[in-house]
Amino acid sequence: MKKRDVEKRLKTAFASATPNVLSAVLSDCASEKGTVMKMTKTSKNPAWVRRAAAMAAALVLIVGGAFGFSAYRATHAVASVISLDVNPSLEIKVNKHEKVLDVIALNEEAQIVIGSMDFRDSSLEVTINALIGSMLRNGYLDDLANSILVTVDNDDAAKGEALRRRLADEIAAALQTSAFSGAVVSQTIGADAALDDLAAQNGISKGKAQLIQQLVAQNTLYSFEELAVLSVNELNLLLTANNTPLENGEVTGIASEKSYIGTEKALDAALAHANVLPADVRHSWVELDFDDGKIVYEVEFYVNGIEYEYEIGAVDGTIVKAELDEHRQVAAPVEPIGAAAAKTAALTHAGVDAANARFEKVELDEDDGVAYYEVEFIADRVKYDYIIAAVDATVLRYKCEPIVLAPADTADAAIIGPERAKEIALAYAGVSAADAQFEKAELDRDDGVLSYELEFYANGVEYEADINVLTGAIIDFVRDDKNAQRPAQTTPAVTTSPVTEPPITTTQPATTFVPQTTPATTTQGQISAEQAKSIALERAGVSAADARFEKVELDYDDGRAHYEIEFSVGNVEYEADVDAVTGAIIEFERDIDD
Amino acid sequence: MFICLTSAYEYETKRDDRQLDMLIAAVGTGDREALAELYSLTQVAVYSFCLSLLKNAQDAEDALHDTYLDLFRSAEGYQTKGKPMAWIITVAKNRCLMRIRDRQKTAELPTEDWDRVSDTATGTDLNDRIALEACLQKLTDEERQIVVLHAVSGLKHREIARVLEKPLSTVLSKYHRAMKKLKAFLAEGESA
Repeated sequence: MKKRDVEKRLKTAFASATPNVLSAVLSDCASEKGTVMKMTKTSKNPAWVRRAAAMAAALVLIVGGAFGFSAYRATHAVASVISLDVNPSLEIKVNKHEKVLDVIALNEEAQIVIGSMDFRDSSLEVTINALIGSMLRNGYLDDLANSILVTVDNDDAAKGEALRRRLADEIAAALQTSAFSGAVVSQTIGADAALDDLAAQNGISKGKAQLIQQLVAQNTLYSFEELAVLSVNELNLLLTANNTPLENGEVTGIASEKSYIGTEKALDAALAHANVLPADVRHSWVELDFDDGKIVYEVEFYVNGIEYEYEIGAVDGTIVKAELDEHRQVAAPVEPIGAAAAKTAALTHAGVDAANARFEKVELDEDDGVAYYEVEFIADRVKYDYIIAAVDATVLRYKCEPIVLAPADTADAAIIGPERAKEIALAYAGVSAADAQFEKAELDRDDGVLSYELEFYANGVEYEADINVLTGAIIDFVRDDKNAQRPAQTTPAVTTSPVTEPPITTTQPATTFVPQTTPATTTQGQISAEQAKSIALERAGVSAADARFEKVELDYDDGRAHYEIEFSVGNVEYEADVDAVTGAIIEFERDIDD
Repeated sequence: MFICLTSAYEYETKRDDRQLDMLIAAVGTGDREALAELYSLTQVAVYSFCLSLLKNAQDAEDALHDTYLDLFRSAEGYQTKGKPMAWIITVAKNRCLMRIRDRQKTAELPTEDWDRVSDTATGTDLNDRIALEACLQKLTDEERQIVVLHAVSGLKHREIARVLEKPLSTVLSKYHRAMKKLKAFLAEGESA
């Protein structure tokens, strides 16, 4: 199932679930009379609420204090447990004066790290520095795997948090070596029997279990067991890839990806396998992830309307998975077929001769990597709308709608007739035929739509109504209450323009709001996507090799064609709008992602 | 020979931003017919977004109604920047946030029954319900909002980033993440 299919499924599902509240909206608007309401809502809590809130807050402080500080703790009682996880996993138990009571190894690597060092009665600072130093010396923390997890377990949440923050800073400083910078994931933890079990079952520390739990909660594709065997560096990378905010903690520094081949190489590997040139790629996407027990790069890209999905082994660059959308077998070139070909395709499908057709619009556009032409034409009193694939002229979607042009064609059963139109107008006005005097009832044409224009008086009120001759829908309705005599200019006191029934899925009869269609645009005189990219790169002062493009899309805004380009260099993101005809930069944005 | 019947076949229009701008301008003069046309073009987008925020069909329906009243009132002050849909969605977002704040004040958490379909909707079939259910159960709040805004309401990622006030990279990665989850879930139910 492709992404596009998922999107389509969602669209139909939501469309069918959407209720129709239009009549309620319109009647509520009528009582508003269309005046602009200043939405200044100042809801102030009454004084007694504010006082109560203040008292409640004070009460909480007192209660908290009583529980937190009343108990006297013997010097031998464990006040905090600090765990360190890299691959080695160890626990440091300290008393309330932060003197170390014991250091326990949870696995063999931790044993190596601790060696023969005895930390009892040492300060926490000294102990941590010594342990970090040992990890560095023994190669457990290096340029390739630079992440360490620090977990603070303290019954007093405030103290635990303060300690966590301090340790995170200190350890980050200790890992600031000449060879590399470390990444510190720090968190606090509380008593949790379930977490204890989970940790014990998987042979890992409680802190690591909490971290994994958060990753699994954010992403249902992960399983706890699979993640339990990963190193802290790998877990840190997944945290970043999933954009998972850490509860009860934070991450400083950047997890090392140096043991992996990198996103550029991963993309290259995928493109090479697919036999696709980088220049042909419309959109591409590379992200580190974890699937089937392996750390992989997920690579997605579009070429010529085909969607490719790859998984590339992050360490060795092997192709783990390769998929492409089989629906469009295209050997076609990147160039679109051209406006003329699009017109022909539409005409052929409609069974209409070019000589009979009057074209209203032929426009190139794009959605999600699929380029298409919008073709609109009128022939034999029928309006046709087509969406033609720009790559191979397939008809993607079409619509036709009859237009009644000749007023004399009353033999057509679809026209409602003047009497019926009058009935509709009277019914809407809430006026009986007996009270009404019709001044005017004539056929008129507006933008290809035929309507009856009616004017009548009833009970001193002047009414004007436009009724669609095909559907009987009220296109326009005016009620003028001023006086019985016809005013010099027809300025109605109250304008109400309802639409009788706005169904969700059927066409609206054309109203007076048919927008100005742009003249047929062709692809001549437009710069290519590659040129647009160069222009954007130049403006950014960045070379193509350094840039990773996220989006290159042709779009129309205010009748003007432009390329929307997005790319990033390291942690700097660029967005540029380049005019497709002149190559001028319409908009340019630069964002640093910290 | 292709014969066109008197009733028109339907297809989904790629929404024309220019058309929307003109409609909004017309609504600003108090034109309710323009409002009706605007409604028919954008109701699914607005409702879907409200549903993704409020997770309750009745609340979403009320928010839908209130949003179009808001649009009617504030259309006069609308300055076109070429992104009418983003403006409409922002109005909807503010409406929904107000509603959420009210909920919190009364400490009432409605059950997340967003697959209960209103009487005035055309009706969902089993496939639709599965898709809606997937959205509610499998996605985080953020992922759901982003997916709805892009796949259903048709906003571009950059517009979504502005409306939800999040960085573009977050929007992009959450969208892809959510799509993966949905793909995995929805494909399960199909034989192919």
